[in-house]
Amino acid sequence: MVKDKYLKYLERLKPSGIQSTIMASFSVISISLMLILGIVLYIRFSTMSREELVQSTGMLMEQTGENLEDYLVSMRQISDAAYYNVIKENDLSARDQEIQAKMNLLYEANRDNLQSIAIYNDCGSLMAAEPVASQKEDPDVTNQDWYKQAVEEMENMHFSTPHIQNLFDDGTQRYYWVISLSRVVELTDNGVSQLGVLLVDMDYSAISRMMNQINTSNNGQYYYLCDSSGEIIYHPRQIQINDGIISEDSKTAAQYKDGIYDVIFKGEQRKVIVNTISYTGWKLVGVIPYDTLSAGTINIRYFIVLSILLMAMMLVIINRVVAVRISRPILKLNDSVKEYEAGEKPEIYIGGSSEIRHLGLSIQSSYEQIDTLMKEIVLEQNERRKSEFDALQSQINPHFLYNALESITWMVEGERNDEAVFMISQLAKLFRISLSKGRTVISIRDELQHAQSYMNIQMIRYKSTFSVAFDVDPSVYSYCIVKLVLQPLLENAINYGVEGMDDNGEIRVTGNVENGTVVLSVSDNGFGMSEEQVRLVLTDSSRIRKHGSGVGLVNVNNRIQILFGKEYGLKIKSEPDEGTTVSIRIPAIPYTEENRKILERGHIRGREGSQDAGTQEKQG
Amino acid sequence: MKKGRKIFIITEAVLAVMVFLVAFAMLWERRGRNLDKISVIVENSDDTQWSAFKYGLRMAAEDNGVEMFFVSTGEELTVEEQQQMIQTEIDNGADAVIVQPIPGAEEMLLKMERKIPVMLVGYAPDGTGASEFPAVGPDNYAMGAALAEELLKDYEESLEGRTLGLLLESTDSQAILDREQGFRDVAEKAGASVVWSMESSALGESAEVIAAQPKVDCVAALDDASLTAAGAYSSSNVLQEARVYGIGHSTEAAYYLDTGAVNCLIVPDEFNVGYQSLTESAKNLRELWYRMRGTTVSYKAIRREELFTKENQEILFTMSQ
Repeated sequence: MVKDKYLKYLERLKPSGIQSTIMASFSVISISLMLILGIVLYIRFSTMSREELVQSTGMLMEQTGENLEDYLVSMRQISDAAYYNVIKENDLSARDQEIQAKMNLLYEANRDNLQSIAIYNDCGSLMAAEPVASQKEDPDVTNQDWYKQAVEEMENMHFSTPHIQNLFDDGTQRYYWVISLSRVVELTDNGVSQLGVLLVDMDYSAISRMMNQINTSNNGQYYYLCDSSGEIIYHPRQIQINDGIISEDSKTAAQYKDGIYDVIFKGEQRKVIVNTISYTGWKLVGVIPYDTLSAGTINIRYFIVLSILLMAMMLVIINRVVAVRISRPILKLNDSVKEYEAGEKPEIYIGGSSEIRHLGLSIQSSYEQIDTLMKEIVLEQNERRKSEFDALQSQINPHFLYNALESITWMVEGERNDEAVFMISQLAKLFRISLSKGRTVISIRDELQHAQSYMNIQMIRYKSTFSVAFDVDPSVYSYCIVKLVLQPLLENAINYGVEGMDDNGEIRVTGNVENGTVVLSVSDNGFGMSEEQVRLVLTDSSRIRKHGSGVGLVNVNNRIQILFGKEYGLKIKSEPDEGTTVSIRIPAIPYTEENRKILERGHIRGREGSQDAGTQEKQG
Repeated sequence: MKKGRKIFIITEAVLAVMVFLVAFAMLWERRGRNLDKISVIVENSDDTQWSAFKYGLRMAAEDNGVEMFFVSTGEELTVEEQQQMIQTEIDNGADAVIVQPIPGAEEMLLKMERKIPVMLVGYAPDGTGASEFPAVGPDNYAMGAALAEELLKDYEESLEGRTLGLLLESTDSQAILDREQGFRDVAEKAGASVVWSMESSALGESAEVIAAQPKVDCVAALDDASLTAAGAYSSSNVLQEARVYGIGHSTEAAYYLDTGAVNCLIVPDEFNVGYQSLTESAKNLRELWYRMRGTTVSYKAIRREELFTKENQEILFTMSQ
């Protein structure tokens, strides 16, 4: 049910015009293609742009990582130089001036990145420091993280997380944010060797400067630095993280090896790129939220949408031009056919492509044929009416009637009553069959009867100056025939054949069936005709007859052909001085009421139908 | 035929409109939206007490994608000067202003508020709290009370018979009056008596005026300027061994705590004052129907020995920006 409903809906949607159909299908195809192309292009471009962003981020991070490493290496070198060139070689008490000078040299060479260099002994007492500043009252050095880390693992150098330097008071009332590089050193004080801690405090701003340089984009992408345990060393939004305004999964990132990771953090999908800083184990982490990735492709998206729209506009125009071009000849043809049907314009449009031209020509020729056929039908109908009128006229020929009645009068006067009775009865038969209740088609039996009656009357009139013989195969009696076709033939045979011959005039009526065709012939042994005359007998209907009913052979021939078709009709064989034979050829259609009606309706199909009926009859 | 042409023209027109829209969006995207500009006007803008506040503003500006302009001002502003500054900022294209209100500025601010969104920092100008302006700042009364509580802790919860001196920047400022009220309410309830109360701005550089005051057990400085002054007096022993307590948010204040000149420091979260005020203003500009809301930020009492804990180091970090 639902399916039917949809189908019906679709059918309703179906565009009716050829132009809209072409246009709609072209548009659907081209728009689908464009969409597919656009999507593929977008996917390709956006992937490329994402890859590029990730790649450039990776490269930037690598560069920054190297810078950081360089910086940290230089700090280590300062530490090494302070240890191996200054502390290890000199006794702290004995050569404090020299030590101070060397440390000053080191400090001055690196003061942009350094906050201070200091040496503490194993009790946490300050042994030397650069720049020289007063130590705070009780900085509790041994409890500070950098000191503890150095003492815990003596063999290594330790980088602390950023913190506030809590050692000196330089009188500026300021606090310095530093990263401490601490290591245990062997120092000699007053000739006594002991362990101590060398502290190099790096200025945090050097690192934050480096990180700030790469954290300039405002598209959501950022970089941060954390140590191997995830403690944040630098983050562009450090305080917001501390205040809990935002959060960062640095602890997870610290676990990652170098590489690119897809991470979902707090419902936000992002790409995380991790780069490890050697020796310190610090991780430089680049974060690209997916929003940033897609923000980079937004222009591509617009560009593709714009291209698709422009292409769609162009395609709609092209589709329309093509559709119009294809459909215009068809539409014109259709319009001209409509106009033709409405009877407005008799011409059919012929133009456009060869197929449509051919179609136009075919339609035109078929219309012309129809026209011709119509004319023929009208003509045929007219002729038929005329023939029937003529035949009707022949039914009661006043001249013939007058002659017959005169003969009867004469017989009665001569008291030849038997002859008069015979004559009257023959006349009665003749008229009965002539009228035949107004039928056109009668059986051959009746037609022969009619012919016989006619001949009997004529024989009396002509005082038997000629003889008549009927030699008809009885099998033809029951077939159909147009009425009153034999009479004109007999009339002609008398008037043009045997009349004027002395007693040896002979008229012979024969009939038989040959291959489904009934042939009825009237032969005389009269004067005959030339070939020229024979040709004119059946063609020239305007000939003026000298005698008889005035119904010519042309009329007989027409009536037979109208009813039975062009292949039937009269056939004339004549030889001058030999005689003439006129044969009626008609199809052998059994005389039934039904066949009669069909034949009388008189159209060709009816004739075919009657033939079929005849065949069936025969088979039956 | 006519119907087909009509559909064709409509389709082309719709497509053309879409092309136009997409092209417009593309250009808009390429050119980028002009950043909203928010101006900040506070007294004595170069003073270190604003470091954390400025840092908060800067961070919020980055987070919200707005342009922040910190107007350079002198030590003291009059209402007219402040009005002129706001007007200049409006003329320079500011979309919103964040203002530290000065006493008597209510009317002027109400007038300005019709032209531009105004956000207040520090305290609302109307002491009743029924201000029409949103304001971001600490709870001044609670801070004053908290300062007194710290005093109580040092004197074993009783201030019976203790004498106190009060230092305040200005008695015009409602914020400071609130702090004083809070402090007095708790301290006097605990039995202390305020022997003297002075405006530090009136003192200038002269220490003699303070030195001439009766000796007290404790001096409470209720704002950053007073506290740094008190710290300096304490260091130079002008206060005759009186213990100093105070409210402050500059590195100097922290320094005096570090050196022991100040016993206890109450630090309001100035970073968040800056951050929240600018975030609210930016939201107000971004969202059409947004109504700015005031926020009360927290404060923290810090003792000398706690100054370098991780958490307090971060406070120092914001102050040293």
